[in-house]
Amino acid sequence: MNFSLYSSQQEENIFIRKQAKTWLRSGLITPDQLGVITDATDPNLRQTNLFFRILFFIFTLLCTGTLVGLFAWLISKGGNTDEMFLAAILIFFSAIYYMAAEYMVSVRRFYRYGIEEALALVAMELFCAGCGWLLSKYGLSNKEITIAVLALVTITASWIYLRFGYLYAALISLIAACFIPFQLSLPPTGERVLLLIILCLIFFLNVIYDKPEIEDFRKERNTTIQADLLIAIYLTVNLHLLSVAGIFLGRASSINLYLKLFPPYIYWLSYILTFMIPALGIYWGIKSRKRLILNASLVLACLTLATNKSYLGLTRYAWDPAILGIMLIGISIIISRWLKRGQDGNRYGFTESNILKPESHGISLSDVAAAFTPNFIDAQQPPSQPGKYFDGGSSGGGGASRDF
Amino acid sequence: MFSEKKLSAKQLSTLQDIHTKSLFSVHRELRFFLYIGILMIVAGTGLTIKQYFTNLGDITIISAMTFCFAASFIYCFIKGAAYARQEVNSPNIAFDYILFFGCAFFSMDIAYIETQFNLLGDFWDNYLLVSSALFLFLAYRFDNRLVLSLALSTIAAWFGFTLSGHRFSFEQYYREYAIAYSLIVLLIGGLLYRLHIKKHFYDIYLNFAAHFLCIALISGVAQYKIFSLYFPGLLLASVALVYYSVKIRKFLYMLYAVIYGYIGISIVIVDQIHGETIFIFSYFILTSMLVIGLIFGISRKFKENE
Repeated sequence: MNFSLYSSQQEENIFIRKQAKTWLRSGLITPDQLGVITDATDPNLRQTNLFFRILFFIFTLLCTGTLVGLFAWLISKGGNTDEMFLAAILIFFSAIYYMAAEYMVSVRRFYRYGIEEALALVAMELFCAGCGWLLSKYGLSNKEITIAVLALVTITASWIYLRFGYLYAALISLIAACFIPFQLSLPPTGERVLLLIILCLIFFLNVIYDKPEIEDFRKERNTTIQADLLIAIYLTVNLHLLSVAGIFLGRASSINLYLKLFPPYIYWLSYILTFMIPALGIYWGIKSRKRLILNASLVLACLTLATNKSYLGLTRYAWDPAILGIMLIGISIIISRWLKRGQDGNRYGFTESNILKPESHGISLSDVAAAFTPNFIDAQQPPSQPGKYFDGGSSGGGGASRDF
Repeated sequence: MFSEKKLSAKQLSTLQDIHTKSLFSVHRELRFFLYIGILMIVAGTGLTIKQYFTNLGDITIISAMTFCFAASFIYCFIKGAAYARQEVNSPNIAFDYILFFGCAFFSMDIAYIETQFNLLGDFWDNYLLVSSALFLFLAYRFDNRLVLSLALSTIAAWFGFTLSGHRFSFEQYYREYAIAYSLIVLLIGGLLYRLHIKKHFYDIYLNFAAHFLCIALISGVAQYKIFSLYFPGLLLASVALVYYSVKIRKFLYMLYAVIYGYIGISIVIVDQIHGETIFIFSYFILTSMLVIGLIFGISRKFKENE
């Protein structure tokens, strides 16, 4: 069943155009050839570039949110403070915004324009908030209301994904669903097991649906969802992730993991699974050539190595990150050289060459990360020791002492 | 396309291989893990020095770090391609990260020496200037964007700023330095661009300059509202960014201009409204619609996917 506002042909054409642009950037086709592809794949939809899309999204959110705020303020100022009435207003606005989003797509032919995305998301938020408010009037406990709202977010966000195709809506739906088991007053093991069952069920349904004959754009979307689910499954299974987060945030001692609440067999089963999930993911990613699955699994494998000592109760040392870094570099260089020495610079179809160049916006995340290095170096300087050799001394080096 | 002879047999074969994933590049993945690896080493070394510097001793720490950065620089000078004004490809996948590693260790080394021995006394910050000069040289010599970013943020550190989110200090002193910094960065970047030296670096200069300038101007607007040169300065900067983004068709700068400009104008207008709730609501509704309309107008002048 297809609920989408866009036809499969339209989405496939957009996917082909996107691919063709990458080929042009990578020097695989000429601008004339791109022109031919573009002419043959007109999706008959209005699109805009990423930055205009972000601006449209931000200002539509601002406009729609303020409009609801103004109405609520005017009504409450007029003396009507009935919560039912305010909840009805939220639901009324959500209906208006949702219809506007549908109109933008079906009549104005907007595709990932930012405006219709913000309208759909605001509609979802207002609907769920309004329903939550209404439920509070029927004597439900806070926990029951939370469960109902989370379930509503899961359903409405899924609907937005199915209708408009926004992958982040699927992600919102997944995150909301993940919170539900933790509201059911189950023992910690029960919460995790229930969540694991739900996630595995969605995962296998998605894998079954992801048939080889479906369109490329659907394959790409399914891969993204599968990668998200794989990460969610891993996060459910790994009981020590918060301790790693605590180390990086400098609050390792203040985080209570409640590990004693898990029976030993669950604890050790989770330890085994933290190795199995990334390993299976890497194998599957390589076998099916699904980049996102491979990347997600590699990151999960790093997390497994980072939490390994915590699981085994071994002492953590300051140089542990450096050892992990050396390992990552070593593996990367070995793989790179191994691939390079293969016939035509590839082995089993894998190559180290940069055949598909990503879109450049002038500055990348790695450039930004590099800019923060002096700050990190400054923060890691040991205190000066007055009188050790000379007197005084309290300055930074690669960094600085003032904050901007 | 192939049957119409609009695509060569070789092109068809390559594209088919890529599409069917018979040829699968892991270039980005390898680069990602190399970069993460380098960052982890820098982090691990920094933490180790911080915790164990009394056990390790100054000589061990300084000689180990000196060895690391010297080895990296020597490797880069031996393996690196000859200097060229245009973009130069790295000789291998790890090359860029080895240079970055060397620069990070150089920073750590001199930071440690200065912290422990206080050789330059009150003039300690000149180390930053020397470091940034070295990083700029290395960035241009080996065509390395990461090292250029490091150089520009080290210059910012010399001006007195760290890119830290802990505390935003917008006192007069820092603000003027931020404006001076952004103008100097813009000037250097512009000059090198005009001289056709590594023109592809210009975006990094512009990003640094735009953020420092706009944040400093907004901080001035927040303090003095309309009664200072900060407000017209911010408007001028936003208009310049819009003009530039339209001219070169890089709409990232449009995003900066609209966001920073809108924040600055909103601070001034909301201040003039004097807390009248209905006017504040109306202002945000009307202006956001106006911005949407304006951007819609601009976006229609360009090809849809440009």
